[in-house]
Amino acid sequence: MITVTINGKKIALNKPVTILEAARKADIYIPTLCNHPMLEPFGGCRLCLVEIEKMPKLQASCTQYVTDGMTVWTETEKVLEARRAMLEFLLINHPLDCPYCDKAGECDLQDSTMQCGPAIGRFKEGKRKLPECYDDPIIVTNMERCILCSRCVRMCSDVQGAHAITITNRGSKSCVEPFSGGRFDCEYCGNCITVCPVGSLMSRLHKHTYRPWYIEKEIETVCSFCGVGCSFVAQIRGDSIVRVEPRPDLGLNKGLLCVKGRFGFDYTASPSRLKSPLLQKNGDLKQTTWAEALSHTAGKLKEIKEKYGPAAIGAVASGLCTNEDNYTLQRFMRSVVGSNNIDSTTGFFYGPAQRFLEDIFGQGVTLNPMQGIANSDGVFVIGADPSAVAPVLGLQVRAASRKGIPVVTVGHMPGLKRFATCSLVPDAFSEPALLNRLISGLMKKRPVCGENEFFEGAIKKFMLSTGDDIADPCGLSNNDIERAVNELDLMTNPAVLIGRQVVQRSDASVLLLQLSVLTYLLNGRIYLISELPNDQGLVDMGCRPDMLPGGRPVFSDSMRKRYEDSYGSEIPSAQGMSLMEMIQAAHEGNLKALYVMGENLLPDLPDTGYVKEALSKLELLVVQDTLMNETAELAHVVLPACSWPEAEGSYTNFEGRMQHVRKAVHGEAMEGWKIISEVAKIIGSDFGFLTVVDILAELTKVSPIHKGITYAEMDGGKCLWPYNGEPLRDSAKDFALPDITLLKRAKDCGRPYLFADQQLFHSGTIGRNSSALSMLMPASYVKVGNALSEKKSIQAGDVAGIASGIKSAELDVIIDPDLKGMMVLIPNILADKGVMSFMKWNMNPDFKNPALDGNEIEISKLRSKAEEVSA
Amino acid sequence: MKGPLENGTLKSVPECGEKETALMPALYTAQKEHGWMSIEAMEAVAGALDIPKARVKGFATFYDMFGKKPVGRHVVRLCTNVSCILSGSEELLLRLRDKFGIAPDETTPDGRFSLVAMECIGACGTAPAMLVDNDFYEDLTTENIFSILEKYK
Ligand code: SF4
Ligand code: SF4
Ligand code: SF4
Ligand code: FES
Ligand code: FES
Repeated sequence: MITVTINGKKIALNKPVTILEAARKADIYIPTLCNHPMLEPFGGCRLCLVEIEKMPKLQASCTQYVTDGMTVWTETEKVLEARRAMLEFLLINHPLDCPYCDKAGECDLQDSTMQCGPAIGRFKEGKRKLPECYDDPIIVTNMERCILCSRCVRMCSDVQGAHAITITNRGSKSCVEPFSGGRFDCEYCGNCITVCPVGSLMSRLHKHTYRPWYIEKEIETVCSFCGVGCSFVAQIRGDSIVRVEPRPDLGLNKGLLCVKGRFGFDYTASPSRLKSPLLQKNGDLKQTTWAEALSHTAGKLKEIKEKYGPAAIGAVASGLCTNEDNYTLQRFMRSVVGSNNIDSTTGFFYGPAQRFLEDIFGQGVTLNPMQGIANSDGVFVIGADPSAVAPVLGLQVRAASRKGIPVVTVGHMPGLKRFATCSLVPDAFSEPALLNRLISGLMKKRPVCGENEFFEGAIKKFMLSTGDDIADPCGLSNNDIERAVNELDLMTNPAVLIGRQVVQRSDASVLLLQLSVLTYLLNGRIYLISELPNDQGLVDMGCRPDMLPGGRPVFSDSMRKRYEDSYGSEIPSAQGMSLMEMIQAAHEGNLKALYVMGENLLPDLPDTGYVKEALSKLELLVVQDTLMNETAELAHVVLPACSWPEAEGSYTNFEGRMQHVRKAVHGEAMEGWKIISEVAKIIGSDFGFLTVVDILAELTKVSPIHKGITYAEMDGGKCLWPYNGEPLRDSAKDFALPDITLLKRAKDCGRPYLFADQQLFHSGTIGRNSSALSMLMPASYVKVGNALSEKKSIQAGDVAGIASGIKSAELDVIIDPDLKGMMVLIPNILADKGVMSFMKWNMNPDFKNPALDGNEIEISKLRSKAEEVSA
Repeated sequence: MKGPLENGTLKSVPECGEKETALMPALYTAQKEHGWMSIEAMEAVAGALDIPKARVKGFATFYDMFGKKPVGRHVVRLCTNVSCILSGSEELLLRLRDKFGIAPDETTPDGRFSLVAMECIGACGTAPAMLVDNDFYEDLTTENIFSILEKYK
């Protein structure tokens, strides 16, 4: 126990902390500028000086640790004088343009000067002049106001890991700049804006529209972009969100955000927002009333069910929608339609991957707290670049790497390039061969432990059948692989992060089994890199063709009975159709109606042409969404749903954490769950849902894992897996070993193969409707590496022709020197030139998801940019 | 102006154990090969050492001896700090202007000399002092300065 006396007040501490922390604990105010709770102590501004007895000089309280018996004074004349002096120095070059500055009212410099500053300055010389810089589309810099506390630079380098800005020059010429001096060209997380104590770094999006005291209300809510589920405060004025602000003490992101969360929310105010229902008449979508739209939907569904049976109807749920919406949709499908045909794009990766891993290790095996990553002793990442698709999760990996922990990545991962201690980029599609070599290498170093006999038996069988004969070099040297094995062998309880790309392929089950083996050998914890805010919730709500809410298999009679009793209707025991099966069935004419909630199928499903054909064969296509999109254009009925800030609900993030999404602004549309309940009511089934509380009440009653959950519990951040529920702890006693022959299939790596580029600045339809995100990445492109660029004589800035057999288009070329071999990357930004529209697919027989491997592509130079300009 | 960087890379990358340790020598090399710290030169250093570009810029702009503008074939860095000013470097500046027509931060039209007014270069006892490229000269007078500069074509 340490006792320190500050201003005569005795403070008892368990561990040594800085004087500043101790003072704050005791509610004693010490002004600070360079100190920030999200950053390491720095000791640069000298504003926090205090007097310590027996020390001749004043000390910086933010860096000085307390010792037992220390006596500190924070308000002596000497201290006050020092503060005045520091502030006078800081103001020498400060323009004092507070009336014009966006930061006024929440500026640390203004506040400190108010409290402790000198009333007048004595400096008569001129101040330095540095004009406000508008070179960047998102961040405005005003270096006259900068006090050089370096909080932004430390944030960008030490926390974000982007190293995009620096303090340039020296002395009174110093200022903060990105490398280019103008445009930031960075990750645009905006975390530097959060920590800047003055108005030097500001968001251009609400420049001069914002005064902190104009805010009418602040609503704590959760980001709607990815599966991390960052918390922030939405600040509202005049019924619209002015800005979102993360807080160091809020949520699992603890003050951090990424570009999507911070700047992307303006999609909710996009001109494509749907406001009134639309009904197709003579091939055109026409505005209609809610009554007509709902009764048309209900009438048609009833008619189709009677005519073709429930199996002719399907529904698409969405990881962008809340648990409440998704639960209600599955309730509708199972109890009103009587079909298990419900799935979503979450079924392309997240759903089946989780199911596969849970079958081996038990329910909830992938639901682990995020902080575990930075605190583990190793990280293994495969299948997605978390710093692009779930950026704040990526920051955890970067934090782990900064602690000197081994980080092994497999695949092209630009965001972790500087952070991986070992980065393996095998030839296209040779990951299974690589994993096999890692596993056999590791097994030589650590024998299996005998904990899970069944699984170990399977491992042996698996290794026997693949053997060591797969000495496939997979494009890597023996040295590389040996190094990776050594790095892996350092890990005793690592985090294993698995992303989309290992599952959207025909050998997905082989890869997942290999990853299970690897995780088992490493004693690792698995994390699935969730790209949508409610992937996990959607699965938990039973929006899978083979799963009831609570992760209960639909074929289990006892489980089904539980729901049948509660719903008062029969649920088919056979699993329903997956999303791609529904599309196929629609194409073949066997599926007649599709209710699409919140998904934009055309750009997000492979082979757009085929999907379009399939959808146009439907007798009823209902699209319930918040934004007009390509799928809605084909619909018979379009039902406008409340957007993310307009309705109450909850999301479940990739850790299994249920979080409250709050209504922040008023919307003209109807809540998603309400639309569905209204349709059900017209068909003759009243769910009795008046508010989301009723839905949660029903869910917590029927779903064994969600027992007793309340919104209050979610608000406290305590709603973490396994809740108070009853997870299925048993791991499977039997599962089919994947087909090993898949592993041996050779791929010709001399040909260009197409992959999706993982975009930090984009996220499907909602990202496209954000003007901020579109500014950062306005056009699509094709990315190739040096090898391909040489082979085809394509250079950066050229326009290339891309043809995949089902689609051809022209795209601007970007050269990525880190991209290996013949890989070709296209993002899924624009619907008509998105990567998915080029992709052919096969049904993966194990997961019924689209396998996208082996998409060969023709690429050739059409012309150079220069020619285009002169032409 | 010195030659451009070939393919945007440095000809000789200094070898040091830690890449951060190699930063200063690499900046020095870049300056020697390219003449000044252009965006390309800083990018070349960042690329050669795999150090974030912004970090390189922070270092390159901190030190006065790294040029921030294109320079001529030879850079004359004349000290104008206290001891040198007291010992006559102001006069030297004027003479240089008369002879070559350049003030500090300017380059002669023929690209022969660039002039930089330096802070103390540590030769106060033998002031005034200057550096011409990497050669050190002290005890300068209005006479000997021109014979020294004669050697630089
Ligand atoms: S927005 Fe993020 S990446 Fe860009 S400079 Fe600021 S902290 Fe760095
Ligand atoms: S820009 Fe802001 S955070 Fe960065 S050094 Fe200046 S005052 Fe500090
Ligand atoms: S990491 Fe995900 S949840 Fe967090 S701010 Fe970014 S998009 Fe939103
Ligand atoms: S807050 Fe302590 S020195 Fe800046
Ligand atoms: S003042 Fe010129 S060398 Fe010191």
